[in-house]
Amino acid sequence: MEFLNNFVTQTMVYTTVYTLVALGIVIAGRTGIFNVSGEGVMLAAASSGFITAYLTGNWFLGFLVGALMGAAFGLMLAFIHETFKVNQFILGISLVILGGGLSDLIYKIVIGVRLSAPEAPPTPVVRIPVISNIPIISGFFNQDVIVYFMYAATIVAYWFFYKTKIGLETRAIGENPKAADVVGVNVVGRRYLATIIGSALIGVAGAYLPIAITGTYSPDISAGRGFMAIGIAIFASWKPQRAILGGFLFAAIEVISYQLQLISGNIPYQFFLMLPFVSVLIIMMIFRKQVEFPASVGKPYSRE
Amino acid sequence: MNKEIFVELRNVRKVFGEVVALHDVNFSVRKGEIRGLLGENGAGKSTLMNILYGLYRPDKGQIFIEGKEVKIRSPFDSIKLGIGMVHQVSTLVPEFTAVENIMLGTPEDKLTLPLKKESKRIKKMAEDLGFEFPLNVKVRELPAGVKQKIEIVRALYRGAKLLILDEPTTSLVEAEFQQLLKSLKMLVKKGVTVIFITHKIREVMDACDSVTVLRRGKVQGTLEREKMSKESLVKLMFMEKEIKVNESALPKVELPEIEKSKEPVCVVKNIEVEASEKTPGLKNVSFEVYGGEIFGVASVSGNGEKELAEAMIKPSILKSGDIIINGESVNGLPTLKVFSKGVFYTPEDRIKEGILPDGSIKENVLLGHHAEERFLKRNVFIDWEEVKKVSERVVKDYNVFTPNVEIAIRKLSGGNIQKVIIGRAFVNPIDFLVTHNPTSGLDISTVEFIFEKLVEIRSKGGAILWINEDLDELMILSDRIGVIHKGELKGIFNRDEFDKYKIGLLMIGG
Amino acid sequence: MAEKKDKKVLGPFLRNISVYLIAILLAFAVFSVLVALMGFDIFRALRTLTTTSFKSAFGFQETIKKTIPLIFTTYAFTIPFMIKFFNIGGWGQMLMGGTVATVVGLSLAPLNLPAVVLVPLLLISGILAGGLFALIAGYLKAKYDINPIISTIMLNFVAALFVNFIATAPRFKDPLEGHPITIPLPKSATLPFIGGIPSSIIFAILAIIFVYILIKKTRLGYEITAVGYNLFAAQTYGINFAKTIMVTFLIGGSLAGLGGALEIMTIHGKLIEGFAKTSGAQYGIFGILTSLIVAGDPIGVPIAAFLMSVLLVGADALQRTMQIPVELVFLSQALIVLFIVVIRKKFSVRR
Repeated sequence: MEFLNNFVTQTMVYTTVYTLVALGIVIAGRTGIFNVSGEGVMLAAASSGFITAYLTGNWFLGFLVGALMGAAFGLMLAFIHETFKVNQFILGISLVILGGGLSDLIYKIVIGVRLSAPEAPPTPVVRIPVISNIPIISGFFNQDVIVYFMYAATIVAYWFFYKTKIGLETRAIGENPKAADVVGVNVVGRRYLATIIGSALIGVAGAYLPIAITGTYSPDISAGRGFMAIGIAIFASWKPQRAILGGFLFAAIEVISYQLQLISGNIPYQFFLMLPFVSVLIIMMIFRKQVEFPASVGKPYSRE
Repeated sequence: MNKEIFVELRNVRKVFGEVVALHDVNFSVRKGEIRGLLGENGAGKSTLMNILYGLYRPDKGQIFIEGKEVKIRSPFDSIKLGIGMVHQVSTLVPEFTAVENIMLGTPEDKLTLPLKKESKRIKKMAEDLGFEFPLNVKVRELPAGVKQKIEIVRALYRGAKLLILDEPTTSLVEAEFQQLLKSLKMLVKKGVTVIFITHKIREVMDACDSVTVLRRGKVQGTLEREKMSKESLVKLMFMEKEIKVNESALPKVELPEIEKSKEPVCVVKNIEVEASEKTPGLKNVSFEVYGGEIFGVASVSGNGEKELAEAMIKPSILKSGDIIINGESVNGLPTLKVFSKGVFYTPEDRIKEGILPDGSIKENVLLGHHAEERFLKRNVFIDWEEVKKVSERVVKDYNVFTPNVEIAIRKLSGGNIQKVIIGRAFVNPIDFLVTHNPTSGLDISTVEFIFEKLVEIRSKGGAILWINEDLDELMILSDRIGVIHKGELKGIFNRDEFDKYKIGLLMIGG
Repeated sequence: MAEKKDKKVLGPFLRNISVYLIAILLAFAVFSVLVALMGFDIFRALRTLTTTSFKSAFGFQETIKKTIPLIFTTYAFTIPFMIKFFNIGGWGQMLMGGTVATVVGLSLAPLNLPAVVLVPLLLISGILAGGLFALIAGYLKAKYDINPIISTIMLNFVAALFVNFIATAPRFKDPLEGHPITIPLPKSATLPFIGGIPSSIIFAILAIIFVYILIKKTRLGYEITAVGYNLFAAQTYGINFAKTIMVTFLIGGSLAGLGGALEIMTIHGKLIEGFAKTSGAQYGIFGILTSLIVAGDPIGVPIAAFLMSVLLVGADALQRTMQIPVELVFLSQALIVLFIVVIRKKFSVRR
């Protein structure tokens, strides 16, 4: 029981990261922009967000800067894609490299090399009275504010896309931008907005890693999660409600792989660490029939 | 009908890169009339209407609605002004239902989604027009005619007072066209004005109160119904062109009498191709094509003719049945093996399926022949010298206008591209050519050239399976015509039995 | 007539060059601004960045040492990119090539085989390891439609863990080293330096020739090119898409694997964790950047790889002599690619 409790608690922490990135990709993807720059955005936001939190002693500012950094990358992606019609994947990969370089650069310049790693201020935890005592369930709720932010983001995204007309229109852009344009929807404007907001969420996830999980920044702190989240978005068929399930699944696999490592016995521990990465591929293989993509994903929109 | 002008476009000019699409166009429509906008492909009709609808911005010119000047920057503006447009290609979201599509973009209730409430309203609107369609089925599962009705209701739902229809009959059969005419008359009774874009004279004569003719971006004239006739309209549409015009403005090519081969070159026996949501596939189709014969296949687009073409060169898509070339079964063989039996193919969509646009003419001529011994050295390396020689011969024999065979094929005009595609088919002597819509979108002189080449091949004893959309063309050049409807071969006509009405009737299932 | 022809040829050529020049100038401008903001001497920085490779024999040798593996990882990305697929796994494929070659070399050490047997054996195992590793991604795309960006990146992490496993395995690891490193390969399994330049350069040159002939002269190269031009037309006329996908990944991965085996055999003589990196960043990443710079054209790769290496050597020198972080140069390189990709789209210059 104790074990399950700990497992849920730990998993939800990582779920937050995976889900926020996946949501970011889903939101932009629903308007037709396939954002693969997540890994780079996470790194840039992790670095800038952590430095801010560390220097100001304020966790909120750290996350705010992380989100703004994410938004800036989102703006770059939308702008270059829609204005110059550059291929989304080339753009995304270039931004990954850019984000990676930027993150280490900023950190080296501002913090430099230290004997002991600087620590981030703690993020406040929310404790709901009655639920705190229910075993296992409490694992979902005894969490810091960003986890709650992730819950809220998922719910809002779902409500927006499936329960409002404005969400219907936004989804239409992803399916057939001409159809949306023809009824007066501002296709390009909404693409910008979706990409910026989505990227901001990715930024929050990136900042979460050093501020709340490890307590300090290190290079490659994202460890491929930005890419795995692309897999989540795909296998969630670009639906927010499924993205959180996918996020939980991948987080669980990650946590399990750490646990297995400890009891590995004869099998070299490296193979347990490979588990999350191989699982992504296996899951995508199994679920490929059920996957739906917004039909226009990947193409810039122009009228003429 | 009112004499009051509802919409006026003044001095409109539109340039795309170096091409002037519209030269100083003046165009006005009266309230409550059905105005035809007639012209050949590329005359500028859609461009002009897209400007009115806000999808394009004019380089010069003004728009007036009921006498007041307006600025239309996007469909958002035009919709607000009461303009609705149904495009040639469906602009519905395939994944959404009819109700969702119709509600898309309307200004009220942005933060909710009152599907049930609005469904009632939409249903009533549709019924008022004599329309009936399923409200909650994903639009991608509905046929083209139904989608069009949904788009008309969508325009009216937004309060359209002017409805623009761009080539509405592209995917309609005769019966559906008549239905459309009826609903247009009903719309006019409700006070809606209609603009009907088309390139078919006959439609204008059936549907419109008046017609404006456009040619190469210039207005040639506007005729009232009393003055409309085939001759007057043809004159306005084609004026300065030098063509061998007969009744249907098609090239006159002679089909000489020759003897067909004793044995058929191609035998198709009971073939079946799986149906899907997009196509009826093929059911139990059997026919033969002889050497020295052009076998035409007539159908309305989307009735399985595409699958027929594909099955001929990719027999692996057959669910059952046989295809026999020169006495040998080609069942299950990959495309290149089928080619090696003396077959070749020119596809329907020349840009999408026929060429490598950025590739040189050389590289394009090689396509389909790239596994042949003739062009390979030691089976691994390509003999580019031979490819170049052959390409230059194709360019010469088919009058392809190009400085050399190194330039990218996309720089050639549509007609020249098609000539390369056809020339490519005859790089080696072949017994059987499968060709699908080889003349679509081409100018009259190129069509004539292609016809003459087909006749030449036939005279040399070749067999041709010619799948074509245009029945008039088929009737000029085919020895026999087979009709495909809903995936079945409904009948075969010999040349002396050709009757446009009878064939047309079979094409729509009568 | 001759004059007109010259103008026509010169025109697009000049336009192509100016795309590169403008992008480089812009990136250097950003670089200079950042350098100035950090309080360093712009001109000294730019000089160090661009001329270190040419100022001394050592500088030139270092540049060649970087160019060689870079050529291999660039081709690893370029070949699948010809059919519009992104092989981000150049790094992982290089790792597998080097690791498997090491395992083979160390396992066969007791046999005391001569170099003439051992060297080809190791090279072939490197090629196969990289090729088959990449083929996994190719197969996953062909059969399961899994986006290669995701699969190759996941495989990268798997490869890195595999390297760690081998380099720390009791059988192979060097107990005297603190960092995961294996015991050295037998001398007959290594390749020498000649005049300060690694002899692996011969294989790099062979690879360049191989790719050129493959793409321009063979039927397979034609099929790959055709699919890249227009998949639908290629399929209509009998070219098998699934086969083409797998072949391009196989070839790309094999080249990266060969590069990895060469790195181990020439430079290190043993498997060192982190061997496929330069100045702390993966050769695979620079391979992608280099390939994007030449728009995936296999012919421009060696020159671009060399110029990229000049900047990398300059980056090391900047950090060493001026304490300017290497990441600043990496950033500029990423910016060069972004600028080139954008400018090229804006002024698309085609045949």
